[in-house]
Amino acid sequence: MTTPTDALTGSVTDPEAAAAGAADAPAGLTKLTPLSTDDWRAVAAATGAADRAAAEAGVRLAYRAAGLAEPRRVLWAESPCAAVALLQTSENLGRSVREEVRTGPWEAERARAHEELGPAGYAALWSATGGRLWEPTRALTDRIRAGIVEELGDDPKLRLLLLDAVLGQHDAAWLAALAGRGTALDGLAEVARHASWWWPYEETVVICERPVELHRDEAGRLDRGDGPALAFPDGFALYAWRGMPVPADFLAGLADLTPDRIRAEENAELRRVMLEFYGYDRYLADSGAEPVHRDETGVLWRIALDGDEDVAMVEVVNSTAEPDGTFRTYWLRVPPGTRTAREGVAWTFGVTAQEYMPVRQT
Amino acid sequence: MYRQGDVLIMPVAEDSVPARALEDAGEPRDGRGRLVLALGEVTGHAHAVQGPGRLVRERGEFGPMLLHLPQGGRVVHEEHAAIPLPKGWFRVIRQREYVPGSVARVVAD
Repeated sequence: MTTPTDALTGSVTDPEAAAAGAADAPAGLTKLTPLSTDDWRAVAAATGAADRAAAEAGVRLAYRAAGLAEPRRVLWAESPCAAVALLQTSENLGRSVREEVRTGPWEAERARAHEELGPAGYAALWSATGGRLWEPTRALTDRIRAGIVEELGDDPKLRLLLLDAVLGQHDAAWLAALAGRGTALDGLAEVARHASWWWPYEETVVICERPVELHRDEAGRLDRGDGPALAFPDGFALYAWRGMPVPADFLAGLADLTPDRIRAEENAELRRVMLEFYGYDRYLADSGAEPVHRDETGVLWRIALDGDEDVAMVEVVNSTAEPDGTFRTYWLRVPPGTRTAREGVAWTFGVTAQEYMPVRQT
Repeated sequence: MYRQGDVLIMPVAEDSVPARALEDAGEPRDGRGRLVLALGEVTGHAHAVQGPGRLVRERGEFGPMLLHLPQGGRVVHEEHAAIPLPKGWFRVIRQREYVPGSVARVVAD
């Protein structure tokens, strides 16, 4: 495809053209307005087709900002896994330029911010921006890497290819902290806004499509009971229930679970997923469990499992009524040694039964 | 001691607050100018405090956190009744759940 190279270079290096560019971005490149942390949160979670023209324009911008010639070839892959498979068989990629394109500019911007703001100011910047996005995106990228290794087999060459990746949308945490302060990271930010992982080599760049499915629970963990929690257009997918990786065919079996089937499952982690899916309350009722202790904080239940520690749970009633006037009951698992409901509820907040004394709860 | 859903707010004596926390600039406020004690990742619902004060994160992703309200305040949430708080220092604790063979995980309502 043709590249509006001159217009792009002009908008970056020439202040007048840059001012004009802000109002009228060159074709294929969106306006380089700084994004808020919430916007970056949305970038990290974005699904749906990549904007290929915008992502490619971002790549070229990043290469030029690093003082490199633009890559001769742009290859698109339907998932990070497909990209790695493609890279394993590709020749004439040239050397990896990740250091120049991504790590160098990132470190320079970080050093500049650190120098301008001082250690406390930099820490405040990070905690207001990237620090809020770090855990969920890191957990997601770890899972994707693990999924690729599982799919393609573990070998040192594959691990090296994974290290060559630039994480695109999943670099949102540090981009939230550092992008938009100057122009050095504009190209990287632009790719991140429009595509997923990418691999920069001297001759060739490989860019990935974004996921088509991403389902997470309230705590940001991958979570879906009736399909993949993360899926890319080519079918590369990760299955998880409340963050716990599960085999794809495991979910299909959840629909017709029985207490006996749950008791018979030998893998403790999968049994826990089954229990959660089935519902502790339903399991308690169906398995004839008896309450062990009851006080003003709630009810303590215990289920004995063969070859495993007991499941101890506190049943707690929400203090605020639902819109229909009822009070929602919920169960929290507590350590098996718990003896009273109060001790269990106190444990969920990390305090002792004697300390746990709310004067007001809603 | 006050509880709003999955967050426990426990008064602490000022003389037991670490010197580090007394000097800390505190967590930034959210876009609505509130101190966010805990944020629901998906619903966006938050346990939050409006008005003067400071929230100091001690360590770890979910705290513990210390809250200083020099004039008292109110903790609000989209699904729970607001709770007025007296002035002083508080420890903010997120509810957790026991997970066999791994670290306890945080409850999010």
